[in-house]
Amino acid sequence: MLKKNNFKTVTLGSLVLATAIGGLATQAVADVKIGALYPLSGGLALLGEESYRGLELAVDQINENGGVQGETVVLETGDAVDNNQAIGEARRLISQEEVKAIFGTFSSARAIAASQVAQLSQVPYFELGAVADDVTERDLSYVFRTNPAASNFAETIINMLVESIAPELGIAPSELRIGIIHEDSNYGSSVAKHQRTFAEQEGLNIVMEEHYPASTVDMSSIVLSLQDNEVDIVLQTSYQDDSVLFLRQANERGYQPKAIIGAGGGYSMTPTANAVGHEVIDGVYDVDFTQFAINPDFAPGVEEFVDAYVERFGESPRSGHSLMNYVGGHAILSELDQASDLSATTIRDAMTGIDIPVGTTAAGIGIKFGENNQNERAIMMGMQWQDGELVTVYPEEASVADIRTHQ
Amino acid sequence: MNNKTASLTSVRGTGSVIQQLLNKKVLLFVTLASLIVIPIMVGDDYIYHIFITICLFAGLSTAWNIVGGYAGQLSLGHAIYYGIGAYTGMLMLNAGVSPWISMFVGAVLAAGVAVAISYPCFKLHGPFYALASIAFLEVFHVISLNWVGLTGGANGVMVPLELGWSTMVFSERLPSLVIVFGLMSLVLAVSWAIRRSKLGFQLVATRERESAARGAAIRTVHVRLYAAAISAGLTAMLGTFHGSYLTYIEPESAFNLTFSIQIVLFALVGGLGTVFGPLYGTILLVPITELARGWLGSSAIGLHGFVYGVVLILVVLFMPDGIMSIFQRYLPTSKGRHVDARDEKSTHHVPLNDVKKSERAPVGEVVLKVQHLDKHFGGLHVTNDVSFNLHKGEVLGIIGPNGAGKTTVFNMISGFLSADSGSVEVLDENGHFISPKTPGAFARSGVGRTFQIVQPFAAMTVEENIMVGAFYRFRSVEESRKVAREIAYELGLSRFLDEEARNLPIGGLKRLEVARVMAMRPRILLLDEVMAGINPADLREAIELIKIIRDSGISIIAIEHVMQAVMELSDRVIVISSGEILAQGEPEEVVKNEAVIEAYLGKEVTDASTE
Amino acid sequence: MDLLFSLVINGLMLGSLYAMVSVGLTLIFGITKVINFAHGEFMMIGMMLTYIITTYLGIHPYLTLVFVVPLLFLLGIVVQKYLIEPLKDSDEHIQIFATVGLSIAMINLVLMLAGSNNFNTPSSGLRETLGLGAATVLTGQVVIMLCSIFMVGGLHLFLTKTQMGRAIRATAQNRNAAQLMGINVSRINMVTFGIGIACVGIAAVLLSPLYPVNAQTGQSFVLIAFVIVVMGGLGSIAGAFYAALIIGLVDAFAGFYLGSSLKDVAVFGIFLLVLIFRPSGLFGNARKLAHVS
Repeated sequence: MLKKNNFKTVTLGSLVLATAIGGLATQAVADVKIGALYPLSGGLALLGEESYRGLELAVDQINENGGVQGETVVLETGDAVDNNQAIGEARRLISQEEVKAIFGTFSSARAIAASQVAQLSQVPYFELGAVADDVTERDLSYVFRTNPAASNFAETIINMLVESIAPELGIAPSELRIGIIHEDSNYGSSVAKHQRTFAEQEGLNIVMEEHYPASTVDMSSIVLSLQDNEVDIVLQTSYQDDSVLFLRQANERGYQPKAIIGAGGGYSMTPTANAVGHEVIDGVYDVDFTQFAINPDFAPGVEEFVDAYVERFGESPRSGHSLMNYVGGHAILSELDQASDLSATTIRDAMTGIDIPVGTTAAGIGIKFGENNQNERAIMMGMQWQDGELVTVYPEEASVADIRTHQ
Repeated sequence: MNNKTASLTSVRGTGSVIQQLLNKKVLLFVTLASLIVIPIMVGDDYIYHIFITICLFAGLSTAWNIVGGYAGQLSLGHAIYYGIGAYTGMLMLNAGVSPWISMFVGAVLAAGVAVAISYPCFKLHGPFYALASIAFLEVFHVISLNWVGLTGGANGVMVPLELGWSTMVFSERLPSLVIVFGLMSLVLAVSWAIRRSKLGFQLVATRERESAARGAAIRTVHVRLYAAAISAGLTAMLGTFHGSYLTYIEPESAFNLTFSIQIVLFALVGGLGTVFGPLYGTILLVPITELARGWLGSSAIGLHGFVYGVVLILVVLFMPDGIMSIFQRYLPTSKGRHVDARDEKSTHHVPLNDVKKSERAPVGEVVLKVQHLDKHFGGLHVTNDVSFNLHKGEVLGIIGPNGAGKTTVFNMISGFLSADSGSVEVLDENGHFISPKTPGAFARSGVGRTFQIVQPFAAMTVEENIMVGAFYRFRSVEESRKVAREIAYELGLSRFLDEEARNLPIGGLKRLEVARVMAMRPRILLLDEVMAGINPADLREAIELIKIIRDSGISIIAIEHVMQAVMELSDRVIVISSGEILAQGEPEEVVKNEAVIEAYLGKEVTDASTE
Repeated sequence: MDLLFSLVINGLMLGSLYAMVSVGLTLIFGITKVINFAHGEFMMIGMMLTYIITTYLGIHPYLTLVFVVPLLFLLGIVVQKYLIEPLKDSDEHIQIFATVGLSIAMINLVLMLAGSNNFNTPSSGLRETLGLGAATVLTGQVVIMLCSIFMVGGLHLFLTKTQMGRAIRATAQNRNAAQLMGINVSRINMVTFGIGIACVGIAAVLLSPLYPVNAQTGQSFVLIAFVIVVMGGLGSIAGAFYAALIIGLVDAFAGFYLGSSLKDVAVFGIFLLVLIFRPSGLFGNARKLAHVS
């Protein structure tokens, strides 16, 4: 008798505990639930949040126009602090919030970890911002990416160098001495790898390549190496701190290469320019997701986006990440509105129907999913800091200003 | 189920129902069972993930605890072994080898790395070891970033999503949970077995008091290397599993300092050095973090990290021994081992009459030859040409003023110091003279010593303290325990058996010191001021005790200041002053020696000798 | 030749910066025997304070010394009194985790309050370059170099010439004896901790115009600071100074000849060699704190 009772109590106890934990799940309502998985705390939080804001704006706009298939879209956030957490949050979104799809993620490592969960649970996963090639190279049928990948970064950088900058300098591209420096995480390494490949294809002369931890506090030895190798063109792939550090130290040591081309990250951000000094950053090139000083004919809707952003968040966009996430999120949600239902297979199959030409979205990119579900119309923009503003200079049709070369 | 009912019945009738329920064994069983049962009952993927995370960290923390808790080496670099396991698994899976095999390859690799890293670092203690482990972690991080050919550099390694038991990649969650639960149980079992084994005792003894452990013939470096290797191997196995679970691994997450700290944190909150503390620590903390994330929302950047830090500070301040200390206090053990009847009767005093007395054998052949020992500390000549012999069954007293160099001589004839010149030869069991060099070698040749400043293994019980000595002669835990109890009985320590050594009065500690050495069954016993500081009543008994030891055929050298003991016990006395032998001979002779009186003894003892 | 000269100057500048950060850490270890894993976070707090005061009051960053240093001194005293002192008889593990917990809490508190943004203190003319032969240095770096020398010299004078300094050294040499001599050891520990944190406060103010600050900034410096403190011989202030210069030079030369990616291996490799073969440090010589200079 006693035995039985004890056993019951134990089982009951476990049940209570289980329901307490399980009770985390809020009751579902009739809305369409979409997961938003971004690093919202920890070291990647700043741009993670910026990316998330873009998705929020896309959802706002979709809802204003009647939602998806007549239902309001509700975003459920998940915080992808680290890889294990990214998996946990993806699981939570899928099993507890029962989201129809997950959007994310800004960080490539988190995207790779979380997309695998979505694939195995057969929930569509839309990557709007992470650039590593690996994200779409695993042949995952439910994983789509709207934004350009690392190879696009490198390709645009090398093309801009060969097609625009070198002619402007009046020097044959093959005579330029090129130095590649990058931070040593996934992001910097993938972009640099492609820079090397594309540069070699174009017959360019790479004289130096070096990487460093993004948390470094001193880059004077890199500057010395660049000077020592007489590097003309510096290609840097970096976050914010290291962009600031490099530009400052290069300037202070009187190092003036013919061009510095940054790949996104720190180079696109106004705080970077403020920290470095506008006269120092003037003339520096940057290749990144579409920013805001772009020809509106090429990127229709970009001005409205900025207005909506300022209204919603009370400040100007801190980088183009929000814009890229907005465009990707908006295009996919609009397509879902056309679909017959919101089952995973329907969503997946609907994606093949998306066919948006280049130059018609607010970011200028087109959208069409090709091989590996990578958006084959994703393009990068070439920009230059001119008079305190980051203006688009490449490609020609998107540009709002001409390239200026230093004497 | 059978187990559960069995353990419930076993404690029936020993207290209220609630107490039965809260019995430690039952709690452990219920805890372990619920780790599997709850996710199955709830059937939710997210809950599965949380429980997988709990099992993973509980396993990692328990594995860490073997080297961090038992051996007391605070490694903040355990992510190295996790990373090695994860990378080995991923790379071999890409080469077509199942994680079930690569798991063991990774474990062996990690164990090898652990030995290579730990060997030079084990002379570092506390914070220094922690710093060295962080530095090694950084080095591994940089290597994994730069060795692109092997590790894929910063891009990391992925495995294709081929599902199945052979790749350890699953779309449903139960198999992952079963695997990680199995691994965790394995780690817990290993940890439990180690704690109860000879190795466990030796590890804790080494942690508590390294010099005393060496005196008890423990190969302190070896045992810690075993611990490091076992801990690293288990950590790597969990790493291999987690790699397959993530299907992706990169240097940033594999060789991560925060991850290492988290592992240690769970062990600390649970209770360092306890078998199941890390498990309970993880079970408490992981859900708290998850709940905090749910309740506080992800919008508040840093909030949950802040809570983490504050919890850590509060635990350290108010519950430094972790959750286990609370269990210890409020939960009964089902073991039910309290003082048994014989111990109950025994008193603080030595029951001399109960111990059988053997006739004292005549003093025999030479068992220890000390020749021309010399030692300098800087410019100080602390030992100057000291030579003497010790005979079987003899008691040799060494006296001399403070700072004369008596303990230095002891250190040299027990291996704790090496002489600048001269030799120490010990007659081994086979009748050959040998020259041991290390404390361990001296112990093995039959020389046991006590320390002037008592060196108990403070956090171990009296019984465990004596067992550490007994392990030198006996392999099995049970046999050692039996011997330890016998010796404790002889030395009047029975009623303290379950008391932690740190709670003993000084007289008790001195006895414990002798008991531990006696448990090693030495043939030559070196006693360093065992009589100092004990009260007169105890002194009488201590003298009788040493006589019994002597009569059993053990040769004794005793440094002693208590003249009553010196005069009564010693067959011969050596007087050391300023590092030199000033005089030697029978006690009565020596105390009459003019030079000795002048140098040291003074009037007081001249009186004593004429009593 | 010019290149070598540049590298040496770079190394020395970096070294004196490291020295400023490390001096407080070694002082605290020497006296209280506690390794302060939260040391970098105190610096981060100092830099945040400098940023806030500079921008809100619109004053020169160096003037914030008047606020930042006393504030950090008080913060140090509070931490010593309520966190470290109660643990003085605890296990080493426990003490380490007290400061690790403090570090985690401080980083995340700042994340909560300020987000993960970078803050740039106005450079106020401290980023002007000075030609020095082939090398160039910043005015701010020269100030740091001079201040690090003054700081080491000042601490030396304080510890050898003042009553309080002697009491601190006595405590370091033998806690019990000091207690018997009527020295209030827990008060000494509090003051020492306060001074150590105040030192890193000075470093924070001088660094602010040159480096951006965010919640994680302390982490970038603290590992190097540990390396320096151990190399210099724990508790030896002069040792830390020399070690910092050596590490600065290693950093500069390894960064140039091995590449930035491998320079950490050089720095940590040297650290491990010192730790294993000369655990008392290059300049410690087992004298410990008998010579706090």
